[in-house]
Amino acid sequence: MVSVAATPATARPRLGGVVSLLVAVLAVLAFALFWAVDPDLGVFWGIGIAFGIILQRSRLCFAGAFRDLFLTHDGRIMRGLLVAMMGSTVGFWLLMTRLVPDPSFGTLPPGAHVTPVGLHLVVGGLLFGVGMVIAGGCVSGTLFRVGEGYVASMVALVGILGGLSLAAHTWNWWWTHHIAAMPLVWLPGLIGHWWALVLTIVGLAAVYLVVVWWELRDGPPMPAPAEKSEPMAFSVRDHLGALYRRIVVRGWPVWAGAFALAVLNVFAFIYDHPLGVTGELSAWAERLTGLVGLSAGPLLGVDLFAGCNLAVGDGGWLTSAFTLDAGLVAGAFLAALASSEFKVRTPRRPSRYLQAVGGGALMGYGAGLAIGCTVGAFFSAIPSLAVNGWVFGASLAGGAFLGTLVIRRLP
Amino acid sequence: MELDVRGEMCPYPAMKTKEALKRFTGETLVVLTDHAPALSTVPWEGAKAGFAADIEATGAGEWKITLVRQNGAFDARRAMAQIADRLRELGQE
Repeated sequence: MVSVAATPATARPRLGGVVSLLVAVLAVLAFALFWAVDPDLGVFWGIGIAFGIILQRSRLCFAGAFRDLFLTHDGRIMRGLLVAMMGSTVGFWLLMTRLVPDPSFGTLPPGAHVTPVGLHLVVGGLLFGVGMVIAGGCVSGTLFRVGEGYVASMVALVGILGGLSLAAHTWNWWWTHHIAAMPLVWLPGLIGHWWALVLTIVGLAAVYLVVVWWELRDGPPMPAPAEKSEPMAFSVRDHLGALYRRIVVRGWPVWAGAFALAVLNVFAFIYDHPLGVTGELSAWAERLTGLVGLSAGPLLGVDLFAGCNLAVGDGGWLTSAFTLDAGLVAGAFLAALASSEFKVRTPRRPSRYLQAVGGGALMGYGAGLAIGCTVGAFFSAIPSLAVNGWVFGASLAGGAFLGTLVIRRLP
Repeated sequence: MELDVRGEMCPYPAMKTKEALKRFTGETLVVLTDHAPALSTVPWEGAKAGFAADIEATGAGEWKITLVRQNGAFDARRAMAQIADRLRELGQE
């Protein structure tokens, strides 16, 4: 029988210890400062920090969730996301039954990511899916990798902003020719609260089973690691030390990150609106292009529904969406420092920068068109009991498949 | 032989490993990476090709994965379970 050589684990360098403490203190100070200006800014800064920590610790990569299904028949991340969406669905549903007790009149719950269902979701999802696979991460993945020190992800962010700007420039054409006529389909409005809940949970469970079947077609999937017990704690110090190692030093399993993300998303929705990261990036794109006289100007229809709509960028830099995105980067930076994983990483192959900027641009355009990314238009939309989340998700899968065909041919 | 995939992110570390193993005729392939998700994907590619893996942390955010060819009966499932235990010792899952 073959065994893995049991060399002792080398001690991890603790260079980041003092620095990470300093960054943590700065993050708390920033929270206090934002809170003093407006409590919403502080709360979404905190949500952003938690978002970044969760993504970094559990390496929850939405792009990988779709890509690895086709590239390696690996569905671990996708299964984690599906379970997390089931959890968020229950939380969102409870809140939405309170917000809209009788859904039959066509009222939509404020903040829920219910957006028009049309071909723009298919086009946007395909472009986004191809782009995230080529760039090596979706929008949230790019943001948390910026915090971890990936230079290619910083380049991808530039591509995303460019793509969002292009989407803003063409948005009014899409709106007048297609999106304006497309319906907002909220499941409770069609079939009532209970059936909408049952249908969404059963749908997610069915996709879970298909993923398991798909994984097993390619031989045994990678076994889930069994939880290894810590040595017995004889003091409070031992106990806290074990807790610190479990949460800060060691990576989290996918399911733990997915569960934490579900709780965070429900919290964000109860506080104001579900998680989404691209709306604010489009506002940055609009302001930056405005500096050189290339702003897209007024956008039609974007105030008619909630979600990661393209923003006109006139709200100033300091918004709760800004503190969420900045918090995401800061949280990932903090988590990477604390676990001694922060490192400035530059790809040696120059073509990776081209991939980052090109894939980023495809993602940016796709997210602009589909009114959100993997987070806003998929992870927050399906639990919103919105049909657009399913259409976008299926299109993302198709795009990711096309993306794997592309990267198989790249050096 | 050494395969240096530092600077590369998913899915390239695993793809490069898979390609390298296809042509590889030696006994031990060392893969250098600074991408944490590769710590589960690279050993998995190794296991599928009949290689056992060991992982060692070599610096802040850097790891050395040693893939050793296994002759005769090789239980990929069991090898992966052992890698999973090893990853947990290193704080990676």
